[in-house]
Amino acid sequence: MAERPFSPPPGPGATGGPVRREAGDPSPAVQLWLPIGLRSAPSFANFVPGANTEALHWVELLARGEGPEALYLWGGPGVGKTHLLEAACREAAGRGEPVACVPLAGPERLEPALLGGLESAALVCVDDLQAVAGGAAWEEALFHLMNALRATGGRLLLTGRAPVGALGLALPDLASRVGAALVLHLAPLSDGERAEALRVRARERGFLLPDDVVDYLLRRFPRDLPTLVGLLDRLDEGSLAARRRVTLALVRELLDGA
Amino acid sequence: MKAGLWKRCLGELEAELSEQQLNTWLRPLQAVEDGACLRLLAPNRFVRDWVSEHFAQRISEVARAAAGSPDLSVTVSVGTRESRATPETRETSAKPAAAAPARAAENSARRWRAEGPTHKSGSGLRTDFTFESFVEGKCNQLARAASLQVAQNPGGSYNPLFIYGGVGLGKTHLMHAIGNLLVRDRPQARVSYLHSEWFVTDMVKALQHNAISDFKRHYRSLDTLLIDDIQFFVGKERSQEEFFHTFNALLEEQQQVVLTCDRYPKEVEGLEERLKSRFGWGLTVALEPPDTETRVAILMRKAQSSGITLPEDVAFFIAKRIRSNVRELEGSLRRVLANAQFTGHPVTVEFAKESLKDLLALQDKLVTMENIQKTVAEFYKVKVSDLLSKRRSRSVARPRQVAMALSKELTSHSLPEIGQAFGDRDHTTVLHACKKVAELRGQDASMAEDYTILVRTLST
Repeated sequence: MAERPFSPPPGPGATGGPVRREAGDPSPAVQLWLPIGLRSAPSFANFVPGANTEALHWVELLARGEGPEALYLWGGPGVGKTHLLEAACREAAGRGEPVACVPLAGPERLEPALLGGLESAALVCVDDLQAVAGGAAWEEALFHLMNALRATGGRLLLTGRAPVGALGLALPDLASRVGAALVLHLAPLSDGERAEALRVRARERGFLLPDDVVDYLLRRFPRDLPTLVGLLDRLDEGSLAARRRVTLALVRELLDGA
Repeated sequence: MKAGLWKRCLGELEAELSEQQLNTWLRPLQAVEDGACLRLLAPNRFVRDWVSEHFAQRISEVARAAAGSPDLSVTVSVGTRESRATPETRETSAKPAAAAPARAAENSARRWRAEGPTHKSGSGLRTDFTFESFVEGKCNQLARAASLQVAQNPGGSYNPLFIYGGVGLGKTHLMHAIGNLLVRDRPQARVSYLHSEWFVTDMVKALQHNAISDFKRHYRSLDTLLIDDIQFFVGKERSQEEFFHTFNALLEEQQQVVLTCDRYPKEVEGLEERLKSRFGWGLTVALEPPDTETRVAILMRKAQSSGITLPEDVAFFIAKRIRSNVRELEGSLRRVLANAQFTGHPVTVEFAKESLKDLLALQDKLVTMENIQKTVAEFYKVKVSDLLSKRRSRSVARPRQVAMALSKELTSHSLPEIGQAFGDRDHTTVLHACKKVAELRGQDASMAEDYTILVRTLST
């Protein structure tokens, strides 16, 4: 048989709309189908650039196929690399282009074989290069992917924690190709910009974040954005569950002792 | 079936899956919708297997609902829309009936002929890599002259031409230049450029499809074969053997072969001796890293080809700092020009320095609170233990406040964490310190300057 058919026959769930499983659903599939539809997806519009307006500009062009062929974004954890990468994917996918993304530091166990044939995509993103630096099989696969993309004209967006020279890449051919991309550094946001980023995210979730709550979050918790946005998710869920507005009092109840 | 079924499915699934799941597994899929079947094409087996295992059921549900047809069949296989499906699909899923293996093999070989060699349509040559766009210098004079000879007189005296040198020095450029000139002067010539990895991939596919004789015929029928980065043949014995035969056949017929490698042929470990020895039959030429003048010339040429006039002092500035290879040089120039285009600022040395600041810094210095305490203590000539102590005298309290303010500005630690790192103080103490330091910086110029110096010391 030429193709592998999906296993499930048409069944009860088959004709209904999308079924969002409840948290208590014992089905093993539950992990994959979390109700994350509530969250706002990373986009260019909800990226608070701070000092990174230029990076935003070039990534937007890349996503539209108008700018450079390859980009390498680097910066510390939580500065927005993945946000920009996901925004680029969304933008290109929204125009019906095939995109592919390889999260090298993600929770899933991936293999270099995942890179095979990706050059057929219009936009390929590779997140967290540092995670495979020094791994011969991954580096070689990335090198071949970059060569193949040159031939197909596909665009490439790479991210990593360090500048190219400090990534620890063992294959000089790969390092030199990454270095030939447009290399852009992402700087962390200031506290004021972090506050702005939080307000933007809260607005998208449909609630207002009072100033005293913003101050409280910035004072009490690690101030990297992934942590702060994670807190925002908890506030969102907590306030929905309690049917109360997000106020400092509620936030204290929800997060104190966190 | 309405068009855009897969697009609508993706729209549904976007609400249920994380961006990461979508981008890694679903958005790379290409859809072919025919009749009662939605065929999803994955770029490789890894994606296909993952999708089959984790998302198949839900995709089927969503697709059937969206199509309004409970009988819709959804399949996933390896392939792209353009070439329908690659041999890999057939390799894993084509199980010809036992009665007709010969015919299946023949079909398979025919498919290889139709599709392979995979990686190029035509010669695989990049038109921008020509002799005209190659900047000559002492470092590459000989290699360039030899390449030009070969392009003008293929199959003649220098066969094979073996070009070696480190990464980013122009091996691939010269190789394409040979091919481009050859094709220009001899439009009928069959010239093929390929990376050694593609040769390997092609051979593996040919083997899978019993099409090895087609593979041989294809490569041996070329007038000029350009193979890049032969160091990637290392450890691939079967490919080496096949290449050895191809190579011999071409040389016997006086067809031109050009090879590149990152080192001198004899130094490539894991390459068969007979290959190394054959590689030395023709001419072996080296590419050296470019000297400053050549680097300047390369930068000027590159800028010019992007329609920008690069002031010479800026070219010198970049050329002096980026010494390793041409590709890195181009990367730096790209950075400067992109920044100039974005800001609208004229390209000056100062501007280039600013643009390349991040690139030239080896690493974003990781600023830790420990580091801050140490630096601040040294700066104010106190001990780190004083900063962490309960002492409140001005000579200790002020540096402590500065160190706390720097910790807040340069790290993303929470205020309670910062307080704890400074002798287990309360986060309100940290907040007070930050306010105090901000106030002092506003009033006292020397305090402001000290603070700026400390920030710079810590972060560069």
